[in-house]
Amino acid sequence: MKRLSVILLLLNLVVATSAQKYMTKNGYVGFFSHTAIEDIKADNNQAVSVFDTASGEMVLQVLIKSFHFEKALMEEHFNENYMESDKFPKSVFKGKITNPASVDFSKPGKYDVTVEGDLNIHDVTKKISVRGTIEVIKGGINATSKFNIVPEDYKITIPGVVRDNIAKNLEVTVSLKYSPVENK
Amino acid sequence: MKPLIKIALFVIFFLTIAGIGAALYLLKMGHKDLKNVVPDFIISASDLQRTFEDNESEATVKYVNKILEVNGIVESASPGEANVLNVTLKTSNNFSSIICTFPSAIDSHLFTPDTQVKIRGECSGFLMDVLLNNCVLIK
Repeated sequence: MKRLSVILLLLNLVVATSAQKYMTKNGYVGFFSHTAIEDIKADNNQAVSVFDTASGEMVLQVLIKSFHFEKALMEEHFNENYMESDKFPKSVFKGKITNPASVDFSKPGKYDVTVEGDLNIHDVTKKISVRGTIEVIKGGINATSKFNIVPEDYKITIPGVVRDNIAKNLEVTVSLKYSPVENK
Repeated sequence: MKPLIKIALFVIFFLTIAGIGAALYLLKMGHKDLKNVVPDFIISASDLQRTFEDNESEATVKYVNKILEVNGIVESASPGEANVLNVTLKTSNNFSSIICTFPSAIDSHLFTPDTQVKIRGECSGFLMDVLLNNCVLIK
């Protein structure tokens, strides 16, 4: 039911085509963990996101299996042991910019924004509020943000033997290059 | 020390070193180069997209985590973050494609729009498009 509502929300935002709707299918979501033992980085360049400039609403969806690690075994552990990506294949953020009126989407420039909404990871949903930047450019919008999440908040269990290898707070980076939605 | 004990100690030492070596090798091992891997399925971009659209759960069981060799026509190629290249293949559905992510620097000029290509990659699943990762260009 939850999944159906996300698809309907995405479709609703996409189908109602106008200059107010922006979309990307190649969005970037990455995370970084730094400890004294090792640095771990994972990148996902296949995030789908739809953004409505009128309401400030934003939906972002990623497949967990699309996170790419440098080391194959780390990627395997991430999917099988920590994220259980066969059981919980997707992560979704649904939220909105709290101050859309402060952004002039008709004028190129950079604007600081706050985005609030529900982040679902590993079948656990948490309300988050993060700061980010909207850059209005010719023919599109770039949205970026950096924030921290705690794996345990999303019931991601990290075995004691490797707990010291993974930071308590993971730094998440989001970079979305939106283009206007248009009929093909 | 008896010769038998000496041999036993040597074997234990050798196995320990070999075990540590194997563990380190596995921990540091990168991703396999899919150019040298026999694909599990060879399929056209349109057929792959249609299979997911018709029945995502069946297609997920069949294709996700498998190595697919996909034939299709390039719609676009654009660089992503972390030095990757995203190549989109057209399908018979105007709103849904095959998105292939190449993990390392690859010349985007190899993917001129409307050219026929053959790409091998690992299927991650379906969002609005079918997603392939760790891709290599076969032809």
